[in-house]
Amino acid sequence: MSQFLGPLDSTGRVPPLQQTRVASFLTSLHGALARQLAVALPRQFNAGWQTELNAQLHREIEIVSLLMRATSWVPDLMLTYQALSWETAWLPKPTSGVADQRLATTIDIAALGHAAHGAIRPAALLPVEASAEDPFVVALRRIEFESSRLIQAQIHFLKGDNLKPFRDAVSAAVNDRHEQVRTLWADLLGTLGIQRGADNE
Amino acid sequence: MPFLSHGSHRIRYELDGPRDAPAYVLVNGLTQYSELWAAYRDALTARGFRVATFDLLGQGASAKPELFISQDDQVESLRLLIDEIGHGPIFLGGISFGALIALRYAIAHGDRLSGLVPMSAFAELSPQLALLGNALRTGLILGGTSYLQDLLLPMNLSDSWLKPLLGKLDAVKRQGWLVNDVYALQNLMESFLDFQPLTPQLSQIKTPTMILNGEFDFLTPRALHETLRVQIADSALVIIPNAYHAFTLEKAALTADLLARFAEDVLAVRWRGNRAVLIAPDEPGGDIMPFPAGFDHLRAIPVPRAAP
Repeated sequence: MSQFLGPLDSTGRVPPLQQTRVASFLTSLHGALARQLAVALPRQFNAGWQTELNAQLHREIEIVSLLMRATSWVPDLMLTYQALSWETAWLPKPTSGVADQRLATTIDIAALGHAAHGAIRPAALLPVEASAEDPFVVALRRIEFESSRLIQAQIHFLKGDNLKPFRDAVSAAVNDRHEQVRTLWADLLGTLGIQRGADNE
Repeated sequence: MPFLSHGSHRIRYELDGPRDAPAYVLVNGLTQYSELWAAYRDALTARGFRVATFDLLGQGASAKPELFISQDDQVESLRLLIDEIGHGPIFLGGISFGALIALRYAIAHGDRLSGLVPMSAFAELSPQLALLGNALRTGLILGGTSYLQDLLLPMNLSDSWLKPLLGKLDAVKRQGWLVNDVYALQNLMESFLDFQPLTPQLSQIKTPTMILNGEFDFLTPRALHETLRVQIADSALVIIPNAYHAFTLEKAALTADLLARFAEDVLAVRWRGNRAVLIAPDEPGGDIMPFPAGFDHLRAIPVPRAAP
């Protein structure tokens, strides 16, 4: 098992099958977040930090669009089953322990966003030799770089005083989404012969 | 790789050296990971110590709680590790954030320690440190771990260390970037949001204490270490010449030698803290000199010390 994508070709590009699988996962996850944000965003904002959600909606769409254009796609039969399991996993699951169903759903969407932006580090898959001129390489770096900013809306909401009465339920929801996203990501990377970090032990 | 369990969290640790030897437990700074103590493992085990290193919650291979990491949980993790070591003498050293956790442990469980070594330490957030901390957090949020590293490297290391590495700084930063996650670092930083100064509790520390401070430490300057020296009865402040905040990285051989000498002195009942102010040698094994009598060690120019 390797920790990184590759072996790269002679120009420092990631193999197309690896590009296809990684991009498929990220497209599925960020596409789901974009759809959920589009539905959940209030028509009228009532708090300053919510403006970040508007930016987030468009950045999620940008990530999907970027991957569509930056990836060297190849046919991959495995993805038909994988994509179905991913899309099922991303479906909203109202957080248990919160009676207000709208709030419970919003917490879950934020938890999924926290996991997508916190637990997934696509740029950390790149070996040092990866070409800085390759669009797929640049796209992975850009997605990871944007994630540290995008996650701020989730952090603000999930750690905010409004959710203090539900802190245990919120923490459990975020933990569950992290576990789920990490597991699916690790499974996907496993199909590419990649094992990351503590998973190696 | 062994792990301890703290609730649902796993804490990655490593123990090296003879089982029945006096132990040094070393606590990471904020962006560190336990492999950065490798030179200390080698040096201290060669001097007959057992060495324990670990990743704090939120770091490296330890669990990274998603939303909140309390400093109490870090102290509890440290307690679990020290319990794991057994009943022999324990010397506890920590750098920067790790020094704060070590101080908190010493306040709560001082009777378990034979010696304490806070390095690049602080017990309270001065306005400068609080504002710098906020700025570093903003840097992390806006620019990610890599930008935080870009800020910390020139702030905390000397020109002589940086100069030969200027062409390969990306390689220097890479492992720290790989093992640190932004949200986890942010959680570690945000564990200061409800921070209360430890200064009123420092006098509870009766353990022999050697406080190490780099001569040119910009992030945690001398005045922050002075608080420790004044409040901890059996302490001495040792100034590391030509050193910055991250001298444990830059001057590992010298620092490991100072750690070993301190522990050997304590075990031989030779250690006398006396709230002394001392100057470390430039090289391992050199003489530790008293700060010149009559001069103010808090100043950067030779100003006579004010009468108490």
